[in-house]
Amino acid sequence: MSVLAAIRPDEWELPLFVHVLSALALTGALALAATYLFSAWRSGEAAALRLGLRSLLIGVIPSWIVLRGSSEWISDKQGFADLDSPPSWIDIGYMVTDMGLLFIIASGVLAWLAVRGTRDGGNSPGSVARAAAVLLGLLVVLNVVAIWAMTTKLV
Amino acid sequence: MYDALLFLHVVAAALMFVTVAVFSSYALGARVDGPTLAVARVSWGVGGLGTLLLGIWLAIDVEGYDPWDTWILIAIALWFVAYGASEAADRGGREALAGAGALAQQAVAAHWVRTALVLLLLADMIWKPWV
Repeated sequence: MSVLAAIRPDEWELPLFVHVLSALALTGALALAATYLFSAWRSGEAAALRLGLRSLLIGVIPSWIVLRGSSEWISDKQGFADLDSPPSWIDIGYMVTDMGLLFIIASGVLAWLAVRGTRDGGNSPGSVARAAAVLLGLLVVLNVVAIWAMTTKLV
Repeated sequence: MYDALLFLHVVAAALMFVTVAVFSSYALGARVDGPTLAVARVSWGVGGLGTLLLGIWLAIDVEGYDPWDTWILIAIALWFVAYGASEAADRGGREALAGAGALAQQAVAAHWVRTALVLLLLADMIWKPWV
């Protein structure tokens, strides 16, 4: 069975573009930060740890802010902001972004503590870096779940 | 079928953005290392092929779209040009890994060109010009 192509009002295009762009950018930045932190855990390299923390600060957090803001923008344009009970895919999106913020903060704190540990006592990043990396890896998976909800428009 | 195709198409696009993120970190001064370069190369390969094949499949599957629609032809053209730019960036990444660790200026330029093309691709997907 083929699906009919959907036509959107022109005024939705820009907020939707910003929203999708920030979601894809966030996924990319999360994967980058997680890779650096996993690498720091495996190799013990402080440089990888610092790059992981920097990726969080420069890539992940700004992407998250734009994603969250643009989700309100497109939701308002589409009329979902006024609904008492929006569709499930909207709720899933909000849950993932709001939970995601906690994961990002926790991961950032862990990465920062690991960086401090390498400076102060010369300790290797170790399990603290791994914990930060695991949190970000989980968040990548949650983002994929949100993408699934958004593309399938789960009711 | 449509939902699954669209979901996988968007996930493939997300993989392309993983590559953009990795090479952006190199372009901003991060040293090229094995794990991140491997992630970038695999992501670009899987994501690039995924977006192209799934995109064409969607164009055939969805009523009202055809693979020869202007916006789809634009997307395919942008995809091929982005792939050309990615070759130069990827080569630069491999050379940096083998050598000093910093991405050469030519590879940095190729990466930013690729990034701009990926952004144009996304814009084409959203605005669908001349549909």
